[in-house]
Amino acid sequence: MVDENNTNEQATDINAPADNPVMVEYVQQQGDADMIKFGAAARWATKKSLWMVHFCTGCGGIEMSPLMTSRYDMERFGMHSMVTPRQSDILLITGYVNIKTLKRIIRTYDQMLDPKYVIAFGSCPVNGGPYWDSHVTINHLDKYIPVDLYIAGCMPRPQAITRAFTALMDMIQEGKADGYLRYKKNLEKYRANQEKLMRKWW
Amino acid sequence: MSEEVFARKISEFPGSEVKILRKGQIAVKVPNEKGHDAAVFLKKMGFIHLASIEYVDWIKDNEFELVYNLWSYRHRLTVFLKVRIPRENPNYITFMDIWPIAQTHEREAHEMMGIVFEGNPELTPFILEDWDAPPPMRKDFDPKKYVREKYDSIPFVEEEK
Repeated sequence: MVDENNTNEQATDINAPADNPVMVEYVQQQGDADMIKFGAAARWATKKSLWMVHFCTGCGGIEMSPLMTSRYDMERFGMHSMVTPRQSDILLITGYVNIKTLKRIIRTYDQMLDPKYVIAFGSCPVNGGPYWDSHVTINHLDKYIPVDLYIAGCMPRPQAITRAFTALMDMIQEGKADGYLRYKKNLEKYRANQEKLMRKWW
Repeated sequence: MSEEVFARKISEFPGSEVKILRKGQIAVKVPNEKGHDAAVFLKKMGFIHLASIEYVDWIKDNEFELVYNLWSYRHRLTVFLKVRIPRENPNYITFMDIWPIAQTHEREAHEMMGIVFEGNPELTPFILEDWDAPPPMRKDFDPKKYVREKYDSIPFVEEEK
Protein backbone atom coordinates (compact mmCIF):
# COMPACT_ATOMS: atom_id res chain seq x y z
CA MET A 1 0.00 0.00 0.00
CA VAL A 2 2.75 2.41 0.98
CA ASP A 3 4.69 1.77 -2.23
CA GLU A 4 1.64 2.35 -4.37
CA ASN A 5 0.97 5.67 -2.69
CA ASN A 6 4.53 6.78 -3.28
CA THR A 7 4.46 5.93 -6.99
CA ASN A 8 1.16 7.76 -7.36
CA GLU A 9 2.58 10.87 -5.77
CA GLN A 10 5.63 10.78 -7.98
CA ALA A 11 3.48 10.32 -11.06
CA THR A 12 1.38 13.38 -10.24
CA ASP A 13 4.52 15.43 -9.48
CA ILE A 14 6.18 14.54 -12.74
CA ASN A 15 3.35 15.88 -14.85
CA ALA A 16 2.48 18.89 -12.73
CA PRO A 17 2.95 22.23 -14.51
CA ALA A 18 5.46 24.69 -13.14
CA ASP A 19 4.51 27.36 -10.67
CA ASN A 20 4.28 30.04 -13.35
CA PRO A 21 1.03 31.97 -13.88
CA VAL A 22 1.56 32.21 -17.66
CA MET A 23 1.98 28.45 -17.95
CA VAL A 24 -0.89 27.70 -15.58
CA GLU A 25 -3.18 29.99 -17.56
CA TYR A 26 -2.12 28.41 -20.84
CA VAL A 27 -2.73 24.90 -19.51
CA GLN A 28 -6.16 25.92 -18.26
CA GLN A 29 -7.06 27.27 -21.68
CA GLN A 30 -5.71 24.30 -23.62
CA GLY A 31 -7.06 21.60 -21.34
CA ASP A 32 -5.48 18.59 -19.75
CA ALA A 33 -4.22 17.08 -22.99
CA ASP A 34 -1.42 19.63 -23.19
CA MET A 35 -0.56 19.48 -19.54
CA ILE A 36 2.13 16.86 -20.04
CA LYS A 37 4.11 19.34 -22.17
CA PHE A 38 4.68 21.48 -19.10
CA GLY A 39 5.34 18.72 -16.62
CA ALA A 40 8.59 18.48 -14.73
CA ALA A 41 9.66 15.39 -16.69
CA ALA A 42 8.99 17.09 -20.00
CA ARG A 43 10.91 20.17 -18.88
CA TRP A 44 13.83 18.04 -17.76
CA ALA A 45 13.89 16.31 -21.15
CA THR A 46 13.68 19.62 -22.98
CA LYS A 47 16.58 21.20 -21.18
CA LYS A 48 18.84 18.25 -21.91
CA SER A 49 18.54 18.42 -25.69
CA LEU A 50 18.55 21.99 -26.94
CA TRP A 51 19.30 22.63 -30.57
CA MET A 52 20.15 26.09 -31.68
CA VAL A 53 19.93 28.41 -34.65
CA HIS A 54 22.69 30.96 -34.27
CA PHE A 55 21.56 34.05 -36.12
CA CYS A 56 24.79 36.01 -36.44
CA THR A 57 23.51 39.35 -37.64
CA GLY A 58 26.41 41.68 -37.16
CA CYS A 59 29.38 40.87 -34.99
CA GLY A 60 29.92 38.14 -32.43
CA GLY A 61 29.69 35.13 -34.68
CA ILE A 62 33.38 34.53 -34.13
CA GLU A 63 32.74 33.82 -30.45
CA MET A 64 30.66 30.81 -31.40
CA SER A 65 33.49 28.82 -32.97
CA PRO A 66 35.47 28.08 -29.77
CA LEU A 67 32.17 27.36 -28.07
CA MET A 68 31.17 24.70 -30.57
CA THR A 69 34.55 23.10 -30.98
CA SER A 70 36.60 21.20 -28.44
CA ARG A 71 37.82 24.23 -26.43
CA TYR A 72 34.50 24.92 -24.70
CA ASP A 73 32.55 22.02 -26.21
CA MET A 74 28.90 22.96 -26.29
CA GLU A 75 27.83 19.38 -26.94
CA ARG A 76 28.48 18.33 -23.35
CA PHE A 77 25.20 20.13 -22.54
CA GLY A 78 23.40 18.15 -25.22
CA MET A 79 23.36 21.21 -27.45
CA HIS A 80 24.44 21.63 -31.00
CA SER A 81 23.72 23.95 -33.85
CA MET A 82 20.98 23.18 -36.33
CA VAL A 83 20.56 24.50 -39.81
CA THR A 84 16.78 24.67 -39.94
CA PRO A 85 14.58 26.69 -37.61
CA ARG A 86 11.86 24.05 -37.63
CA GLN A 87 14.10 21.60 -35.78
CA SER A 88 15.55 24.09 -33.31
CA ASP A 89 14.71 25.18 -29.79
CA ILE A 90 16.96 28.21 -29.28
CA LEU A 91 17.27 31.30 -31.42
CA LEU A 92 20.54 33.01 -30.55
CA ILE A 93 20.78 36.52 -31.97
CA THR A 94 24.23 38.06 -31.92
CA GLY A 95 25.07 41.65 -32.62
CA TYR A 96 23.10 44.63 -33.82
CA VAL A 97 19.76 44.22 -35.56
CA ASN A 98 18.41 46.43 -38.31
CA ILE A 99 15.02 46.43 -39.99
CA LYS A 100 16.15 44.22 -42.83
CA THR A 101 17.51 41.62 -40.41
CA LEU A 102 14.54 41.91 -38.08
CA LYS A 103 12.25 40.71 -40.86
CA ARG A 104 14.35 37.57 -41.21
CA ILE A 105 14.51 37.11 -37.44
CA ILE A 106 10.73 37.27 -37.10
CA ARG A 107 10.34 34.91 -40.04
CA THR A 108 12.77 32.47 -38.42
CA TYR A 109 11.13 32.80 -35.01
CA ASP A 110 7.67 32.20 -36.42
CA GLN A 111 8.86 29.05 -38.16
CA MET A 112 10.21 27.50 -34.97
CA LEU A 113 8.05 25.03 -33.06
CA ASP A 114 7.13 25.30 -29.40
CA PRO A 115 8.84 25.31 -27.00
CA LYS A 116 11.30 27.91 -28.29
CA TYR A 117 13.66 30.25 -26.50
CA VAL A 118 15.41 33.45 -27.54
CA ILE A 119 18.83 34.51 -26.29
CA ALA A 120 20.00 38.03 -27.15
CA PHE A 121 23.78 38.15 -27.28
CA GLY A 122 25.78 41.35 -26.78
CA SER A 123 24.90 44.90 -25.88
CA CYS A 124 23.23 45.80 -29.16
CA PRO A 125 20.02 43.77 -28.94
CA VAL A 126 19.56 45.04 -25.37
CA ASN A 127 19.40 48.77 -26.08
CA GLY A 128 21.37 49.49 -29.24
CA GLY A 129 24.82 49.49 -27.67
CA PRO A 130 27.25 51.76 -29.49
CA TYR A 131 24.86 51.95 -32.44
CA TRP A 132 21.99 53.50 -30.47
CA ASP A 133 21.83 56.61 -32.70
CA SER A 134 22.20 54.84 -36.03
CA HIS A 135 19.41 55.41 -38.51
CA VAL A 136 18.92 51.71 -39.33
CA THR A 137 19.53 49.90 -36.02
CA ILE A 138 16.43 48.99 -34.06
CA ASN A 139 17.44 49.53 -30.49
CA HIS A 140 15.35 47.23 -28.34
CA LEU A 141 14.87 43.72 -29.65
CA ASP A 142 12.31 42.85 -26.99
CA LYS A 143 9.82 45.29 -28.46
CA TYR A 144 9.41 42.94 -31.40
CA ILE A 145 9.99 39.41 -30.13
CA PRO A 146 10.11 38.15 -26.54
CA VAL A 147 13.61 37.57 -25.21
CA ASP A 148 14.17 34.96 -22.52
CA LEU A 149 17.75 35.76 -21.66
CA TYR A 150 20.25 38.53 -22.30
CA ILE A 151 24.01 38.25 -22.37
CA ALA A 152 25.40 41.73 -21.83
CA GLY A 153 28.86 42.71 -22.97
CA CYS A 154 30.73 43.74 -26.07
CA MET A 155 31.74 41.03 -26.83
CA PRO A 156 30.75 38.35 -24.32
CA ARG A 157 33.34 35.61 -24.08
CA PRO A 158 32.46 31.93 -24.62
CA GLN A 159 32.44 31.49 -20.85
CA ALA A 160 29.59 34.01 -20.63
CA ILE A 161 27.65 32.15 -23.31
CA THR A 162 28.20 28.88 -21.47
CA ARG A 163 26.89 30.55 -18.31
CA ALA A 164 23.86 31.72 -20.25
CA PHE A 165 23.13 28.23 -21.51
CA THR A 166 23.26 26.72 -18.05
CA ALA A 167 21.10 29.57 -16.75
CA LEU A 168 18.59 28.92 -19.52
CA MET A 169 18.55 25.22 -18.61
CA ASP A 170 17.79 26.14 -15.02
CA MET A 171 15.07 28.52 -16.18
CA ILE A 172 13.49 25.79 -18.27
CA GLN A 173 13.57 23.35 -15.35
CA GLU A 174 11.95 25.92 -13.06
CA GLY A 175 9.40 26.85 -15.72
CA LYS A 176 10.53 30.47 -15.98
CA ALA A 177 11.44 30.44 -19.67
CA ASP A 178 8.00 31.31 -21.01
CA GLY A 179 8.81 33.70 -23.88
CA TYR A 180 6.92 31.72 -26.48
CA LEU A 181 3.80 31.68 -24.33
CA ARG A 182 4.01 35.43 -23.79
CA TYR A 183 4.41 35.86 -27.55
CA LYS A 184 1.22 33.89 -28.13
CA LYS A 185 -0.63 35.81 -25.45
CA ASN A 186 0.45 39.27 -26.64
CA LEU A 187 0.71 38.45 -30.32
CA GLU A 188 -1.37 41.45 -31.42
CA LYS A 189 0.84 43.89 -29.54
CA TYR A 190 4.02 42.35 -30.92
CA ARG A 191 2.62 42.31 -34.46
CA ALA A 192 1.57 45.95 -34.12
CA ASN A 193 5.10 46.91 -33.09
CA GLN A 194 6.62 44.91 -35.93
CA GLU A 195 4.35 46.42 -38.54
CA LYS A 196 5.13 49.95 -37.41
CA LEU A 197 8.64 49.47 -38.81
CA MET A 198 7.88 47.52 -41.95
CA ARG A 199 6.04 48.89 -44.91
CA LYS A 200 6.17 45.57 -46.70
CA TRP A 201 7.30 42.21 -45.45
CA TRP A 202 9.22 40.91 -48.44
CA MET B 1 56.68 55.87 -63.86
CA SER B 2 56.66 58.06 -60.85
CA GLU B 3 53.86 60.25 -59.51
CA GLU B 4 55.52 63.45 -60.71
CA VAL B 5 55.57 62.24 -64.30
CA PHE B 6 51.94 61.26 -64.13
CA ALA B 7 50.93 64.49 -62.44
CA ARG B 8 52.57 66.40 -65.30
CA LYS B 9 50.82 64.25 -67.89
CA ILE B 10 47.41 64.62 -66.23
CA SER B 11 47.80 68.38 -65.85
CA GLU B 12 47.84 68.62 -69.66
CA PHE B 13 44.06 68.11 -69.45
CA PRO B 14 42.54 71.61 -69.72
CA GLY B 15 41.12 73.00 -66.48
CA SER B 16 42.53 70.29 -64.24
CA GLU B 17 44.08 70.95 -60.87
CA VAL B 18 46.51 68.16 -59.94
CA LYS B 19 47.96 67.47 -56.52
CA ILE B 20 50.15 64.62 -55.31
CA LEU B 21 48.75 63.44 -51.99
CA ARG B 22 51.36 60.86 -51.09
CA LYS B 23 53.32 58.08 -52.71
CA GLY B 24 51.05 56.41 -55.25
CA GLN B 25 48.09 58.78 -54.83
CA ILE B 26 47.16 61.67 -57.08
CA ALA B 27 44.11 63.92 -56.73
CA VAL B 28 42.66 65.61 -59.81
CA LYS B 29 40.02 68.33 -59.60
CA VAL B 30 38.14 69.23 -62.74
CA PRO B 31 35.12 71.49 -63.42
CA ASN B 32 31.95 69.44 -63.43
CA GLU B 33 31.14 69.97 -67.12
CA LYS B 34 34.50 68.42 -68.03
CA GLY B 35 34.22 65.43 -65.72
CA HIS B 36 33.20 62.95 -68.39
CA ASP B 37 36.00 64.03 -70.76
CA ALA B 38 38.52 63.78 -67.93
CA ALA B 39 37.30 60.25 -67.14
CA VAL B 40 37.78 59.18 -70.75
CA PHE B 41 41.22 60.82 -70.72
CA LEU B 42 42.23 58.92 -67.58
CA LYS B 43 40.90 55.60 -68.82
CA LYS B 44 42.97 55.96 -71.99
CA MET B 45 46.01 56.52 -69.76
CA GLY B 46 45.41 53.11 -68.21
CA PHE B 47 43.14 53.71 -65.22
CA ILE B 48 40.76 50.93 -66.17
CA HIS B 49 39.46 50.07 -62.68
CA LEU B 50 36.79 52.17 -60.97
CA ALA B 51 37.09 51.01 -57.37
CA SER B 52 34.39 53.17 -55.85
CA ILE B 53 32.56 56.47 -56.01
CA GLU B 54 32.70 58.50 -52.82
CA TYR B 55 30.34 61.33 -52.10
CA VAL B 56 31.08 64.23 -49.79
CA ASP B 57 28.58 66.78 -48.54
CA TRP B 58 30.23 70.22 -48.34
CA ILE B 59 27.25 71.88 -46.73
CA LYS B 60 28.96 75.25 -46.10
CA ASP B 61 29.88 75.55 -49.79
CA ASN B 62 26.39 74.27 -50.72
CA GLU B 63 27.97 71.62 -52.92
CA PHE B 64 28.32 67.86 -53.23
CA GLU B 65 31.66 66.42 -54.22
CA LEU B 66 31.93 63.18 -56.16
CA VAL B 67 35.24 61.37 -55.86
CA TYR B 68 35.92 58.70 -58.46
CA ASN B 69 38.50 56.34 -57.09
CA LEU B 70 40.52 54.97 -60.01
CA TRP B 71 43.28 52.39 -60.08
CA SER B 72 45.72 51.37 -62.77
CA TYR B 73 47.10 47.83 -62.69
CA ARG B 74 49.80 48.77 -65.16
CA HIS B 75 51.11 51.87 -63.40
CA ARG B 76 50.29 50.81 -59.80
CA LEU B 77 48.77 54.22 -59.13
CA THR B 78 45.57 55.55 -57.57
CA VAL B 79 43.89 58.66 -58.95
CA PHE B 80 41.04 60.49 -57.24
CA LEU B 81 38.98 62.32 -59.85
CA LYS B 82 36.98 65.01 -58.07
CA VAL B 83 34.05 67.00 -59.37
CA ARG B 84 31.71 69.30 -57.51
CA ILE B 85 28.01 69.68 -58.24
CA PRO B 86 25.46 72.07 -56.73
CA ARG B 87 23.48 70.86 -53.75
CA GLU B 88 20.06 71.92 -55.03
CA ASN B 89 18.64 69.37 -57.48
CA PRO B 90 21.89 67.42 -57.58
CA ASN B 91 22.29 65.61 -60.85
CA TYR B 92 25.25 64.50 -62.87
CA ILE B 93 26.00 62.47 -65.96
CA THR B 94 26.50 58.73 -65.60
CA PHE B 95 29.91 57.13 -66.18
CA MET B 96 28.40 53.75 -67.09
CA ASP B 97 29.61 54.06 -70.68
CA ILE B 98 33.21 54.27 -69.44
CA TRP B 99 33.13 51.85 -66.50
CA PRO B 100 29.98 49.62 -66.41
CA ILE B 101 30.46 49.01 -62.68
CA ALA B 102 29.58 52.67 -62.13
CA GLN B 103 25.94 51.57 -62.23
CA THR B 104 26.14 50.02 -58.74
CA HIS B 105 28.18 52.83 -57.22
CA GLU B 106 25.87 55.47 -58.66
CA ARG B 107 22.88 53.58 -57.34
CA GLU B 108 24.40 53.73 -53.87
CA ALA B 109 25.18 57.44 -54.20
CA HIS B 110 21.60 58.02 -55.29
CA GLU B 111 20.26 56.22 -52.24
CA MET B 112 22.59 57.71 -49.65
CA MET B 113 22.87 61.27 -51.01
CA GLY B 114 19.95 61.68 -53.40
CA ILE B 115 22.14 62.45 -56.40
CA VAL B 116 20.47 61.65 -59.74
CA PHE B 117 22.72 60.26 -62.48
CA GLU B 118 21.32 60.98 -65.91
CA GLY B 119 21.53 57.94 -68.15
CA ASN B 120 21.61 55.39 -65.36
CA PRO B 121 18.57 53.18 -65.99
CA GLU B 122 18.20 51.63 -62.53
CA LEU B 123 18.41 54.02 -59.58
CA THR B 124 16.12 51.89 -57.42
CA PRO B 125 16.45 51.35 -53.63
CA PHE B 126 19.59 49.40 -52.94
CA ILE B 127 20.65 48.74 -49.35
CA LEU B 128 18.10 50.55 -47.22
CA GLU B 129 14.86 48.64 -47.02
CA ASP B 130 11.57 50.44 -46.39
CA TRP B 131 13.26 53.82 -46.19
CA ASP B 132 10.87 56.69 -45.58
CA ALA B 133 13.06 59.72 -44.86
CA PRO B 134 15.53 62.02 -46.66
CA PRO B 135 18.82 60.43 -47.78
CA PRO B 136 20.67 59.54 -44.59
CA MET B 137 24.22 60.55 -45.48
CA ARG B 138 23.42 64.22 -45.99
CA LYS B 139 24.82 66.52 -43.32
CA ASP B 140 21.43 68.09 -42.61
CA PHE B 141 19.89 64.70 -41.78
CA ASP B 142 19.68 64.34 -38.01
CA PRO B 143 19.99 60.64 -37.12
CA LYS B 144 19.29 61.17 -33.41
CA LYS B 145 16.02 62.93 -34.14
CA TYR B 146 15.09 60.19 -36.61
CA VAL B 147 15.88 57.46 -34.07
CA ARG B 148 13.85 59.22 -31.39
CA GLU B 149 10.85 59.56 -33.67
CA LYS B 150 10.98 56.15 -35.29
CA TYR B 151 12.40 53.59 -32.85
CA ASP B 152 12.05 55.16 -29.42
CA SER B 153 8.40 56.03 -29.98
CA ILE B 154 7.49 52.34 -30.25
CA PRO B 155 6.21 51.16 -26.84
CA PHE B 156 7.44 48.13 -24.95
CA VAL B 157 4.96 45.30 -24.92
CA GLU B 158 3.42 45.53 -21.50
CA GLU B 159 3.06 42.08 -20.12
CA GLU B 160 1.08 41.49 -16.99
CA LYS B 161 2.64 38.66 -15.07
